[in-house]
Formats: sequence, C-alpha cells, structure tokens
Amino acid sequence: MSAHEHPQAIGGKMLDPLMKTLLSLFGLSALVMVYRFFTGIGPVSNMTDGYAWGIWEPINVVVFTGIGAGAYSVGLLCYLLNKGKYHGLVRPAVLVGAIAYSLGGSSILIALGRYWNAFWLADVPIWNLSSALLEVAVCVMAYVTVLWVEVLPALLEGAAASQSPYWSSFGKKWGPRLQKAMPFIIALAIVLPTMHQSSLGGLMLIAGTKVDPLWHTWALPLLFLLSCLSMGYGTVVVLTTILKAAWKAKHDQVLFAQLSKVNAGLLFAYVAIRLVDIAAQGKLRYLARLDHHLFFFLLEMALFLAPAFMFLSAKVQRNPGRLFGAALMAVAAGALYRVDTYLTCYDAGAGWEYFPSIGETVVTIGMASIGMAVFIFIARKFPVVVVDDAHGHSNVGAGQVRTAASR
Amino acid sequence: MRISRRSLLKGAAAAGAAGAVTALAGKAEAREPHPPLPDAVGMLYDSTRCVGCRACVTKCKEANKLPYDAQAAQGTEKAVYDVPTDLNGTTKNVIKVFKDGEKFAFMKQQCMHCVDPSCVSVCMMGALHKEGKGKFNYSNENQGTGIVLYDKDTCVGCRYCQIACAFNVPKFEWFTPVPQIVKCELCKHRADKNKGGAYALANPACCEVCPREAVVYGKREELLKEAKRRLAAEPKKYNGKVFGETEGGGTQVLYLAGAGVTFKDLGLPELPEESGAAFSEHVSHAPYLAGLTPIALYAVSAFVISRNQKKEEAAEHHEEGK
Repeated sequence: MSAHEHPQAIGGKMLDPLMKTLLSLFGLSALVMVYRFFTGIGPVSNMTDGYAWGIWEPINVVVFTGIGAGAYSVGLLCYLLNKGKYHGLVRPAVLVGAIAYSLGGSSILIALGRYWNAFWLADVPIWNLSSALLEVAVCVMAYVTVLWVEVLPALLEGAAASQSPYWSSFGKKWGPRLQKAMPFIIALAIVLPTMHQSSLGGLMLIAGTKVDPLWHTWALPLLFLLSCLSMGYGTVVVLTTILKAAWKAKHDQVLFAQLSKVNAGLLFAYVAIRLVDIAAQGKLRYLARLDHHLFFFLLEMALFLAPAFMFLSAKVQRNPGRLFGAALMAVAAGALYRVDTYLTCYDAGAGWEYFPSIGETVVTIGMASIGMAVFIFIARKFPVVVVDDAHGHSNVGAGQVRTAASR
Repeated sequence: MRISRRSLLKGAAAAGAAGAVTALAGKAEAREPHPPLPDAVGMLYDSTRCVGCRACVTKCKEANKLPYDAQAAQGTEKAVYDVPTDLNGTTKNVIKVFKDGEKFAFMKQQCMHCVDPSCVSVCMMGALHKEGKGKFNYSNENQGTGIVLYDKDTCVGCRYCQIACAFNVPKFEWFTPVPQIVKCELCKHRADKNKGGAYALANPACCEVCPREAVVYGKREELLKEAKRRLAAEPKKYNGKVFGETEGGGTQVLYLAGAGVTFKDLGLPELPEESGAAFSEHVSHAPYLAGLTPIALYAVSAFVISRNQKKEEAAEHHEEGK
C-alpha cells in the first residue's frame, strides 16, 4: 500500500550556508539571553509594568506552540479518525511540534523573573488550580515530553539501521516495544493540547478591562483551540511544500487538497463564532471605531476568510504554489489573532506604550532559527521525511522497523 | 508474557494519565462568587479630605524600607526629592491628581486588597495569596483578614498578576537579576499586638501619618458603614457612591470622591459586579465537567487509536500473506 512509504534520513552536508546563518542568529540571541541573566529583564527588553510580557509570551510561546500544533491536528486526523493516508505527514509535523514546544518552554524560562523558583512546580499540592497559566505550564511540560517520545520511533529506526551493532540491536529491540505503548502516548498527545491550547485563550479571560471588547469574550478558549488547529494544518502544508522544494520530499497534492478542505471548515467556523459572538453580545458598536482595533480586526477576518475560500477552489487545490500561499495565510491568520489578543489589542491603560526592543527581537528570531536548525539536523540524520523515490534519493537510514508513528 | 506486558503498560499509562487529569481538574466545579470576609480589614480613602501633602508616600517608603524613586530623581542635579509618578518597583503608595479646568481632585493609589483578587486567582503557586490562605502553612499569618500578601519564595516572576490586575497594582523589579513583585501588603509587619482589634492585624503607615484622616484604617465592614454615614450626612459633598462596595466583586480599600468627580476620573476602572476571577474561573472550568471531560477524552482516544492500530496491523499481515 502506498500509505506505507518509509521516511528516510536526508543526509547531505550539515554545515551549509543556511545552517551557518541559523546558528549565528542563535548565537547572537544566546548573548542577549546570557546578558539578561546578569542584569535582569529590563536592560534587554522594552517590557514595562504595563506590558509585562512584551513579545516573548505572545510570540515565542503562544504563536510558536500554535505552529507546533501541526502534530496535534494531523494526529487527530491520522490516529483518531484513522485516516492512514496522512501518515507520511506525521513525522515532520511531530518533529516541528516537539521543537516548537521546547522553544516555547525555554522562552518562558528566560522570561521568568524568578526562574529558580520554578522547581516548586514539582510540588503538586501547592499548585493553584485556578491559574490558567499553571495549567498551561504543567500541560506544556507534559506535552513536550510526549512529543519527544513521539519523535523516538524515528530516532530508534535510525539507530536500528546504524552501522554500530550496539545501536542497531538497541533500535531493533526498543522500536517495536515502543510501538505497543504508542496508542496510550498518542492519546495523551490529543488530550494535552486540547487542554492547554484552549487555556492559552483562557489566560486572557481575566484581563477583561485590558483586552479590547472585540477580542475579550467567553469564547476565547474555543477560538484559541480552533486557531491552533487551523495553524497546525496550515503549517503541515507549508512545511511539506518547503521540504519538497529543498529535499524532494513526497508531496501528495490530492492529500493536501483534502487536508485543506478540513482547514477551510475550521477557518469558517472560527469566523462564524467570532462574528455571531460579537453580534450576540451587542458589541457591533465597537466596529465603528476607526482605529487600529478595526484595522487588525478586518485584517484578521481577511486572513481567515481568504485561505478558507481558496482551499475550496479547485484551481487552488491543483496548484501547489497557490495552496502553499493559502496555507501560509492560514498560519498568519492564527498568529495574528493570538498576537492581537495578547499584545496589539491589549491596552494596559493610559500612559503605557510598548514596542519590542532589539534585544527582545533578537531572542525571538534566534529561537526560531535554532528551531529550524534542529529540524534540519534531525531530518538529515534520522528518518523523518518521506522522500519521493522516483527521484532516486539515497536510502541511507531507511527504516525497517515499523512503528505506529511511521505509518 | 506478552499480554501481561501489554496490560502493564496500559495500566501504567492509564493510572498516570488519570492521576494527572484528576489533579488538574480537581477544582473544576462551578465557581461561586467569594463574599467579603466578616473580619476583613482595609482602608477608606476620602478624596475630598486629601490635600495632596504626600506624607503617606514618604512614610510608606520609610515603613517598607523602599529606596527613593531613582527614576524621578535621576538626570539633573536639581532633581526633586522622591517624586514617583506612578506605582513602581520602589513605590507601593502614590498620590495622583485629577485636573479638569477648575475642578481637581486627589487620588491615592495602592493595592486594593480585592475581596476576590485576580492576582490570587492567577498566581501559579500561591505566592500572592489572601493572608492565612496560602498554599503553604504560613504559621505567622492570621486568618480572615483578607490582606493580599506576597511570598517571594514561591514566585517564579511570570508577571501574570500584572496582566490580571485591573488596577495595575503589582509592580516588577525590572533592573535586577533577582527581581520581586512589589505591592502594598497593608503594613502587616507593623501590626501591634498590644493594641487590640484591627491594629493587632496590620497598621498601615499611610493611615497613621495622614494629617487629615483622608485615609483611615479599620475593619472593612466598619469602614463601609462610615463611608455611607458620610454620604448620608453630606450628600452634596460627594458623588453619592462608595467605590469598592461591589466593584469587581468588592475591594477592601474603599473610595469616596467629591461631587462632580467620577471614580473613572480618579483612574479607577469601571468594573462589573462579578469579579474577574469568578468570570475567568467559571468559563475556564465549565467545560471540564469536574474533570470528566479530559478523562473521557483520554479513554476514548486510547481505545480508538489502539483499535485502529490493531486493524492496520491485521491488514498488513494479511497483505504480506502471513
């Protein structure tokens, strides 16, 4: 069956110019981060008591994990609805998820003022269960672990195919064992993101006087859950299209078209809930303000609706370039919605201004760069990406061990 | 052998997940509003009595061993002595002025010690907590005062309290590698056991030093009565309302403002009667159905996924002719 193609290690030169660029960008951000640990957060950022989270929380955590939700959204389709044809998309999505969530977690650690007290999180009885942030923190930590366990089959396959007899037997022994436990791990990988992605929206429920009325609604958790799914499906299409261009990864246009139809439904659902909620709560008058709120609201609506219509058009479905563009817009839509809720349409009150500092921006860019670098490294070394065999690519590391996550 | 290993795995996974989920969902029942505690203490600030002398600002810094406001003092050799423009990492109490043509009114800002505080609702491990209700057993804390206290040892510095507080009260020390949250704790450390009543619980320096009794300390219930007495005695002098009686679920620091001055003019937010904490916890917890939803979702997912995997394995074996 064609659904059972095996992912392969891409191989190739590790330190190419792209890799060097990514690593230097990360190096730069590492300097800022080290500096921050000696001086505090003030000197490297423009954060204030009014804008206490700057861009690190809204972008490094809320947007990065939205991008990482590809693992969640494809997992839902593939495992829960048993659409085996999507299996080829799982490994790259899971790897992106594991990386994005790890970056989100480490960004929090850098942003925490008193990070050394974070070890108290291990003390379950002192958890304040009313805190949405506690739920996010605990869930994200658990989910990062789950995601890397989901990456393990690829690493074990790589080990099984290795030259070293020790690693080979190690991979052959543990690969199938892990496979038996996978359903119970994958089930966690469905429950945990459902919880914390909605909690990321729930976080802002309490800031009722600060989040603009067009964004502040009881439906925040639901809208954040929907937007992570639409971002996730978008990310998978964007990612695979890039992988095809770079490494001739297998690229099934029909599959993408079907996936994108699901995404169109999610995007429409988001817009419908948003608009009905605004009307039902009598907030239509807020649309009469000719200011940045209106601009960002219209931009969001455009970014959600445009890809939704495009995904349903047969022309776009046939054309990889257009589908890529639409998928990119779907990711941007969710990202914009998240940043608006947390930052652009969040008003701390009179007298507070915020624009990210160079230091904050460097850290965010550096984090994204190291994420890409880690993805490239693992994809070159281990079987993650399904390569189109017709192009006669090297078969180094092609997996022999069939695990749940490989199919 | 194989069966036992599989059931072991299943058991372990199920137990782990159920444990985590139950822990997370333990508090997921519907959220009732928190009523004011009968013995809660607080302050009453009467804007019409305040003359803006700022003795309370200086005395607060002295009582809390806070440095004078370096930001306001820097830049010029003729810098004015300690004039914080807002609450900040070195200022827990500040006097502001509202001016509109002829009209002007003073405003004192510090922690409101909310009846149902947002900061306490969001604080991950109870660093910000109502006195005696912390996550740890703090032996030196009284019960029932409702004072919002800060414990630096369980604070991770996430600053969610700053996002959540509608009054923008908690402040963060941005320019040190070992920052803390800074906010008024009602001078609990100045409590005088020899004096009875409310003074045995706390003794705010600002109230002690105020020459006009514009701000007074006491039990919230008594202060509320006093505020209403003043409104009734001189209805033309005031705007007719007590801020903090019900706003945002109520606050333990109450405000009176002069006729023609709204509380919004003074910089206080317009809040519904339901506290932000009650609204947020109610909406967030409702879908959890007391923890049932995540457990059910996990169980269904695990069942469906393992069934699908078995189906696929069977299909594969069939295909390969085994």
